[in-house]
Amino acid sequence: MPTALSSTDATPSYLKAARVAAARRALGDVGILFQFRKQAVRRRHLARTLSLVFLAITAAVAVVPAFAPGAAGPDKAFDILLLMPSALAGFLVLTISSAIASGGGRELISGDQAAPYPISPTTDHLGALLLAPLNIAWMVQAWLLLGSMAFSFGPDKLFQAQVVVLLWLVFSTAVGQVVAWTMEAVRRRPGGILLSRGLLVAVGLTAGVVQLTGHTLDLLDRIPTLWVFVGAVSGWGTRWWLDLGFLVVGSLAAVVVGAVPAHLAARRMPRDEARMETDQHEPRPMSRSVLGILVRTDRASVWRSVPMRRGVLVLAVGPGLVAIFGNLPWSSMTILPGLVASGGALLFGVNAWCLDGRGALWRENLPAPAAALFDARAWVLLEFLACASLITVGIGALRAGMPNAQELSALVCTLAVVLMQVVGAAMRWSIKHPYPVDLRSARATPAPPAAMVGYSARLATSTTITSLLFSGAAHVPEWRLSVIIAIPCLTWSTVRLVRARMRWQDPVVRARVVATTAA
Amino acid sequence: MNQPPVVDVRSLHVRFGEVEAVAGIDLEAYAGQATALLGRNGAGKSTTMRVLAGVVPPTAGSVTVAGLDIRKDTLAVKQVTGYCPDVGGLVPRATPWEHLQLSARLRRLSGWEDRARDLLERFELGDVMNRVTGGFSHGMGRRLSVVLAAMHEPQVLLLDEPFDGVDPIGVDATFEVIADARARGATILLSTHLRDLAVQACGTALVLRGGSRVAAVDAAEMAGEEGARAYRALLD
Repeated sequence: MPTALSSTDATPSYLKAARVAAARRALGDVGILFQFRKQAVRRRHLARTLSLVFLAITAAVAVVPAFAPGAAGPDKAFDILLLMPSALAGFLVLTISSAIASGGGRELISGDQAAPYPISPTTDHLGALLLAPLNIAWMVQAWLLLGSMAFSFGPDKLFQAQVVVLLWLVFSTAVGQVVAWTMEAVRRRPGGILLSRGLLVAVGLTAGVVQLTGHTLDLLDRIPTLWVFVGAVSGWGTRWWLDLGFLVVGSLAAVVVGAVPAHLAARRMPRDEARMETDQHEPRPMSRSVLGILVRTDRASVWRSVPMRRGVLVLAVGPGLVAIFGNLPWSSMTILPGLVASGGALLFGVNAWCLDGRGALWRENLPAPAAALFDARAWVLLEFLACASLITVGIGALRAGMPNAQELSALVCTLAVVLMQVVGAAMRWSIKHPYPVDLRSARATPAPPAAMVGYSARLATSTTITSLLFSGAAHVPEWRLSVIIAIPCLTWSTVRLVRARMRWQDPVVRARVVATTAA
Repeated sequence: MNQPPVVDVRSLHVRFGEVEAVAGIDLEAYAGQATALLGRNGAGKSTTMRVLAGVVPPTAGSVTVAGLDIRKDTLAVKQVTGYCPDVGGLVPRATPWEHLQLSARLRRLSGWEDRARDLLERFELGDVMNRVTGGFSHGMGRRLSVVLAAMHEPQVLLLDEPFDGVDPIGVDATFEVIADARARGATILLSTHLRDLAVQACGTALVLRGGSRVAAVDAAEMAGEEGARAYRALLD
């Protein structure tokens, strides 16, 4: 006699109660794990200050632009107002793509560390949601949305509008998580990798067809976020309350629903990672030089890692497609290399010595000059970032026509300067703040979430300033100007890189880095 | 002993910030001999091994390996040592063969391939020599670490916990490696918690406690029930 429930049977109340209890427990576990991570923060005072700075910036960007000259005016402000529904949709696309690329979002505690504890996939899902905003791309886009809304809409009814924008941020993040877990659950099924890649190609092709057939504006005019936007700007009206209700209920539903694919994904083998860990590589002939074999080993560590392959793909292709759809001119394309190089460094470069994992101790016993180890690692990082940046620029160039001499000069100089800036900073930080990290999982990051925010903020600031500088130079009809600007920038970055190289050659410093990354 | 020691450690101190991991260890090891380093967790065994491998510089004291000062000739010391670290020891996304190629190139070895294949077969790793090590079991990783330490027939073989989680075939193969190394006149230092295996593999045993050496005895004295009692007494 069957004892299992039939699909037509109602769920007994005791099962419902068990689910509610499990959800409560998962929520409690998030708090415990969050506290655990908080205790591991090395510079708590700095972390507290940065949290306050984040809140202060958020409050400022949400209010101050509303009182700026030209706010809510008929010119620039009105243009921005028209773009707001697209910007809201853009944020949703960002959260989805970011969560998919990181295999379901960041981990409050890594899989290996969590293994001995009864941590449910629901906890993992909620933790990933909690960590999602600790990402510079998320923060910058969120500030951009809040600031744009404030400037375009003005002080009147601003509170109601920004409440909707804030709820949209929450809703988008939760929906992004649902899509990412679903993709991860699909990817972990037999044939799932092929299916998920097919889906991504199909989405890309559809976007390409829409763009090439000139239907982009039609699509944007009918974008569903228009409904959210209209509600946001309607004050205390019914539409606003409807918006509010929809976003609150939708966010809660997305948070709850996200646990389902998270459980599904957790029950299945992560195929990408498993394939990488059992991959066979036929022996290649010996490299002729010491540097050659070191570069080859480091290169293998980078390109055989799931988070780096996925991350670089998203980084290289994503901004390139945005450049195509946005019809980015050559003078503005200088913004791309900095963006991509910064993102690339955040995949492993900011903790470059973690590539060796626990093999660092054995590698350190090999009779190779310390300088050669540094050179190989810096070179591999440089080529990784250069490869991603060139692909992005290449994609962006497809629609930008032929550049003139000053535009080309500005772009080449930007590329050289930001690459040196990023490599120099990453190698410096790798020595100063090493972390024991296993970059096996697609969800792994080279440093803890709070440190990653700090790194990304610093990289984004320096590369954006550099990019804007060269963007300005691209408008001056003299190609030599960019070269003149680039020379001191390159010199300064090179000096900093050389100083990091010298520091690495100190055996005490190197021992600390090796012992930490191999721990 | 008439011969000078190959490994000569005098009043070695290693500090990590406030923590003194090694507090004045003296150690001598000779050619053709295997010496066991025994002691509780945190006794300073692995840190001493890391110093001898040139991975961690000594804070104070003198350390010479094969007549080379570890502070001044670190690279030359790395050339004459083979090191199996206590944790991991493998680059996760490289294959065993790529590990061996890296070691061979940096040590300027030629004609090493046959010996490497032979060692891999002895440790039953021949079938996985082209597979990335990230998916290896703990025991497989330990066995490969011993292969990597021994492949270039070093003058000083440093094995830190080589038996940890290793199956009997791997243990036998490690014994063979140690016996081969002794036969060709190499110096072996073996750190382990497995006293019985240390007694089988080594002629001398040093017991460390709290970062210092508390005893240097014939390994045979540590054998059996009597040896277990003597060892426990030294640990307390």
